[in-house]
Amino acid sequence: MGGAGSVMRLGVAALPGDRSFRCLPARGKRWELPPPPRAGAMLGGGARASKPSFVSYISPEEIHIKEPIEKEVNPHLLPGELLLCEASTVCKYVQEDGSHRGTYGKLVCTNFKISFLDDDSASDDNEPQFKNKIVGENDITLQCVDQIYGVFDEKKKLLTGQLRKYPETLIIYCKDLRVFNFCLRYTKEEEVKRIVSGIVHHSQTPKLLKRLFLFSYASAAPNNTDGRNQTVMFETLEDWRDELERTKGNVKYKAVTTNEGYRVSEKLPLYFVVPICISEENILKYEGRGIPIWCWSCHNGAALLKMSSFPKEQDDSTSQMQKAFLDGIYKTISKPPYELLRMDDLSSSLPSLQDIQNAYTRFKQLFLIDNSMDFWATDVKWFSLLESTNWLEIIRKVLKKAIEVAECLEIQHTNVLLIEESATDLCCVISSLVQVMMDSYSRTKSGFQSLIQKEWVIGGHSFLDRCNHLRKSEKEEAPVFLLLLNCVWQLVQQYPPAFEFTETYLTVLSDSLYVPIFSTFFFNSQHQRDTNKSGESIKTQSGPFRFLTVWDWSVQFDPKALAFLNNPLYAEKPKPDRSQRKTSRFKHQRQLSLPLTQAKPSTKRGFFREETDLFFKNILGKRIGKFINSSDEPPNSFREFYDSWHSKPVDYHGLLLPRIDGPEIKVWAQRYLRWIPEAQLHGGGTIATAARILDLMEEVQSLQVKMDEEHSQAVSGDVHSAPLLRNSARLSSLFPFALLQRQSVKPALPTSTWKDLEDEDDLVKRDDEFVDLSGDML
Amino acid sequence: MAGQGCQGRAGCRSAGRDAGAGPGARGSFPGRSGPGAPGPPGQSPCAMSGAPGGRRPPFPALPGERVLEEAAGARRRRGNGGGSVPGTLLCTNRRLAFVPGQAPGSRGLLRPEDEVALPCIHKLVAASSFSKPKVLTAASTLKFIPEELAVFCRDFRLLRFSFPENGLAPQAFRVANAIAQAREAAARLGDAADGWASPGEAVPEEEEEEDEGSSTTLLFESLRDWEEELQRLGAAGWRVSAVNERFDMAPSLPQYLWVPSGLLDHDLKRTFGHFQERRVPRLCWHHPGGGHLLRAASFHPASEPGSEDVRCLEELLLGGRGPCVLADTAELPTLADIQLAHLRLRALCLPGAVAEEKWLSALEGTRWLDHVRSCLRKAAEVASLLAGKRCSVILQEPSDRDLNCLLASLVQLLGDPHARSLPGFQSLVQREWVAAGHPFPRRLGLLCQDSPREEAPVFLLFLDCTWQLLWQFPAHFGFTEAFLLALHDSSFSPDCSTFRFSCQRQRGRSSLPRLPSQTYRPMGGWQEPGGHRGHPNPCSFPPVWAWGRRYSRQQREQFRNPAGPPGPAGPPTPSTPAEPCPWGEPRLVLALAKGSLCPHSLPWWSRPPQRPPLWGSPSGSQGTLGGLLGTSCQPPPGLLLPCTAGPCVRLWHRCYLRGLPQEQRGRLAPSLAGLTEELQLLQERLRAWNLRRPH
Repeated sequence: MGGAGSVMRLGVAALPGDRSFRCLPARGKRWELPPPPRAGAMLGGGARASKPSFVSYISPEEIHIKEPIEKEVNPHLLPGELLLCEASTVCKYVQEDGSHRGTYGKLVCTNFKISFLDDDSASDDNEPQFKNKIVGENDITLQCVDQIYGVFDEKKKLLTGQLRKYPETLIIYCKDLRVFNFCLRYTKEEEVKRIVSGIVHHSQTPKLLKRLFLFSYASAAPNNTDGRNQTVMFETLEDWRDELERTKGNVKYKAVTTNEGYRVSEKLPLYFVVPICISEENILKYEGRGIPIWCWSCHNGAALLKMSSFPKEQDDSTSQMQKAFLDGIYKTISKPPYELLRMDDLSSSLPSLQDIQNAYTRFKQLFLIDNSMDFWATDVKWFSLLESTNWLEIIRKVLKKAIEVAECLEIQHTNVLLIEESATDLCCVISSLVQVMMDSYSRTKSGFQSLIQKEWVIGGHSFLDRCNHLRKSEKEEAPVFLLLLNCVWQLVQQYPPAFEFTETYLTVLSDSLYVPIFSTFFFNSQHQRDTNKSGESIKTQSGPFRFLTVWDWSVQFDPKALAFLNNPLYAEKPKPDRSQRKTSRFKHQRQLSLPLTQAKPSTKRGFFREETDLFFKNILGKRIGKFINSSDEPPNSFREFYDSWHSKPVDYHGLLLPRIDGPEIKVWAQRYLRWIPEAQLHGGGTIATAARILDLMEEVQSLQVKMDEEHSQAVSGDVHSAPLLRNSARLSSLFPFALLQRQSVKPALPTSTWKDLEDEDDLVKRDDEFVDLSGDML
Repeated sequence: MAGQGCQGRAGCRSAGRDAGAGPGARGSFPGRSGPGAPGPPGQSPCAMSGAPGGRRPPFPALPGERVLEEAAGARRRRGNGGGSVPGTLLCTNRRLAFVPGQAPGSRGLLRPEDEVALPCIHKLVAASSFSKPKVLTAASTLKFIPEELAVFCRDFRLLRFSFPENGLAPQAFRVANAIAQAREAAARLGDAADGWASPGEAVPEEEEEEDEGSSTTLLFESLRDWEEELQRLGAAGWRVSAVNERFDMAPSLPQYLWVPSGLLDHDLKRTFGHFQERRVPRLCWHHPGGGHLLRAASFHPASEPGSEDVRCLEELLLGGRGPCVLADTAELPTLADIQLAHLRLRALCLPGAVAEEKWLSALEGTRWLDHVRSCLRKAAEVASLLAGKRCSVILQEPSDRDLNCLLASLVQLLGDPHARSLPGFQSLVQREWVAAGHPFPRRLGLLCQDSPREEAPVFLLFLDCTWQLLWQFPAHFGFTEAFLLALHDSSFSPDCSTFRFSCQRQRGRSSLPRLPSQTYRPMGGWQEPGGHRGHPNPCSFPPVWAWGRRYSRQQREQFRNPAGPPGPAGPPTPSTPAEPCPWGEPRLVLALAKGSLCPHSLPWWSRPPQRPPLWGSPSGSQGTLGGLLGTSCQPPPGLLLPCTAGPCVRLWHRCYLRGLPQEQRGRLAPSLAGLTEELQLLQERLRAWNLRRPH
């Protein structure tokens, strides 16, 4: 419970009055002074059942009797979006129980998305509370499509490229883990051909970069947003210098302009930071390879560096030269004033990209569920299936590596140099994680976004290749960025008050990977972005493209929805005066991390360390080998660091270490389970608490406003109306994402068993069996 | 608290002085336990006075508790790398306690992590660098001077004490042996169920601490409690029967039973013989919509009811209350399953028991979560049946003393908002477990003479199920995880009466017939009926609900859920009349098995039941449980339907993983409490402002 004291001091100190007002328990009077009414009951009735009127539950067999009323519904098109093909009388199955129920409507494919339009989408009186303005609940952006299957005579077949036969049902698996079942049996054959081949072509076949919707959108919709975003974009030299200053790294490191015009390398950003002693010619020598590039400086001066290694060279003399070059570099940066250097070759100490991709492929399969039968079938073996995917294990390894790095920086005061072939994959993961753990600025929203910008977007992570946005090559695909988000999520759920953002923020961020109106995740490097920015558009009079950045969340969400991205329980750091705040944005006040007096290595370790292995095997008959310490790890400093940190109360503004023991690594339920109705809890889940917290927050804030008013002797309006208690009982645990299954009642048990009782004929048949049974019992 | 007189009991003759009373106790040496245990050579007891650690703070002894042995200057290890705390390790006749060197201040309650009740000790291991580690029992005493002592607890904790070498050897040696002895003695005492109550003990006056809880916990030891609760449920057509008042009808049943009003006691008596252990069907809960929940043992195999008996039996079972659904426990784990799973779980939760990457499959291998799921699923089925249709569900378990307790209470947690409040939950446990005769001592393994086969932590399984509900529906519960943890730990605690007895009769025999002071007001209201003090054998332990005795005010405040239902648990759910049963037939008996209903017959029916009316009414068109719930999409207000899918059922980390070095810190609860506190502070201030301001 330590650390709770630092939480939630919502400016009480600034209030008038003093300790003479005692905090008396005022149970039952909590709701006495309500806040001003807010826009509606934000959460009320979120997952409420919508009007069932338009949902036709006629089975396909009945279709001949009753033609569905086709209202003319038109897709909502974004600027630059073009309708490519469409098909009507498509039935979208409600996937919940495999029964053939669903909604009829129109399926369209544009150059941006695949969209299903039913009558519902025309009526907007049932606006969900958490709505993405760009991608609706029945929209799938082309980049979000993972795989498409067709059902031919009850058989599922993967659809790629050319088709000879056209399926009765189209199953679309999305990268955000939605699954859509579209029945085409009642669609005209012509339309089926057009829509299926259109969808497969536009979502599954290789594409040119310039054909990304990003460009059509950017040329059609002039970007008028000014740069008032708080996120540091790291596109200018200034940004890097500010960052150096913020972390007090400017004594030993400098931002260089060597790469202007991409003279050094197209992979490197325009500006970056290197140790002061590195000369320009060194940087130029091998296109920036072998050069330690600065990521971040710790409060004690130790720095985190990254370096892209030389590829394996056949030529002996070349490799000799490279080696000599590297030795020279190491020598310079190991000398004072630089700290000792520790190198870590991530390609050997962490799982390969291929491993990561394989694990994730297996992992997501657990959540891409066609129907509830599948779900219950996997349910029995849930934990072992989960384990066999190895995904959680990879998360653990990555977190562990990040802790090791943090230990070197924090305790051993050594510089850490991360080495990787390109220094843009696992380097990004580790360096971002280390910063999230060690720098509380990175746990604010703008800080986190700046970090992603610095390490990933400008840092040169190949989003285009790793997400396979262009369907060029599956070999390059690897969910590296998702891995980071998964790791950060572990931290967020272990220490919610330390983060300004919520898990919902991480979830929508992961979804934004597939929304091609933002440039953020659709280029491989700054160079690629810059060259494509001008490009052809010179011909069209409009000048260089102005892309949107994903950090402008208002593009996707209304202010109401944006509230869900902010953590109401964020333990904000005491801020300097309001007047100074603006200027001190970059001089983010850094409290030193926990004073980690290094536990003195005890000369005499407890006896258990050495002897328990044998002892417990012998005596207790159980393998309790690693009783206290896994003694097989030669440097125990990691374990000591980890344990001593965890034995102290948490400082939410200081160093934050994730717990990485077996039971602590969890599944990011919000992202992965959100579309599975079987996992839904009506009126339950953490959202119930969150809703209550939001209420309390509102009330506290309004009271504070009132206090201010009182203080300034202003005539305050009389008592506000009572707060609209969000009825958390109406919400479900899948909120804010449970929009698809509005009609569903969560079955408490596999539905098939109950279904038998519904069907009269079936029951009659079964009756006899049961009668027999009961006869036997007599 | 200090200074409670305590008489030495037979067998501990030298313990006459009040060793547990305070600082003066240091240096006093109650009889050396471990008969014949040779003292380490060359050490005299006086060595202790020179022991490091200085004067220990007073030890807050419980009434009747005596310090048997102590070792000043011991160190309690905290986790891994967390260093250790110096203090005094004490062994009393009740528990093993550690008093940290620095005074804890306040009322001197020991922190729960610093003490462990003797029956809760599962295994005691001593070790030194010179010899092999050794498991200590009363029979096998220590032959070497221990440097470390590891205490494996039944409640998943692992305590480790180390004895630095500076002159502590004899104490370390004696304490280790004393613990082993005392543990054995405690188990033996437990066998005589009333042994825990030492003669002549006085219950301390519970000072101050009048608490918020004007709400009361019903103990169900008196007629009034039963009547009050029946009234709250609004179960018309039912009455309290005192037919078992002298435990002559069914020894393991409570004194008072809820039975149909239409059935006279005279008729009721005819039915007892037809059920195992004479445990007849009786009402547990009445759904405001008209459903009834009953529980009973299974039919006695040898019974052949005559026609008059049949009339009474059918009146009791069916009684014109719509169809009757028999829910047996076939799909639930057996007692052996539960015990095995619990043992495996405990082994798994020891530090380093399994490689991290194998953790999940090992967890699956324990099957503990499977058992949790099947219990939740069954309870959800029953609860939705009751909420959806007007029928009565009879929970039937062969003995009616284990899983029926669990199911009956779970169903009420799901369906009755009152049961989800703190006093409501306590009353629920009191009624469905304590009064209903769950054999706690045997199931929790608190006795040593019983065969181990009797042990099965059904109650702990229930607590886990409750925790799952709490975790899934945090806004619906008036209590918190901290409360459940306290209850979990208290089930091994020797100083509360709740878990000491197997049934009301046994409890009654061990104590005096109570004055009809039936409602127990938590924290403070506990008054021993006057005049019984000094009686040779009063049951002088308060129920576990007297939290104030063992938990500080701050701790108790954490029992209440700040994010719980806003008001006190209101009146029972507004009576939404359930759909009248569509099957008209009054004598319909169905069996709930594997999630579906099928016709069933009562054992005395000579022929199979007539073809039942169709179950699926036209209205229920959805192929889900929703069909049973009626037409609405949402579950009716007040009904919780837990998710039992794999990803939704979790391990109770804070309970089972306490033995691991990493303690759980900084979760949501404290900050939420902080927010609530802040809100109150602000409101107070604002009120004060308003008062001061001239109007």
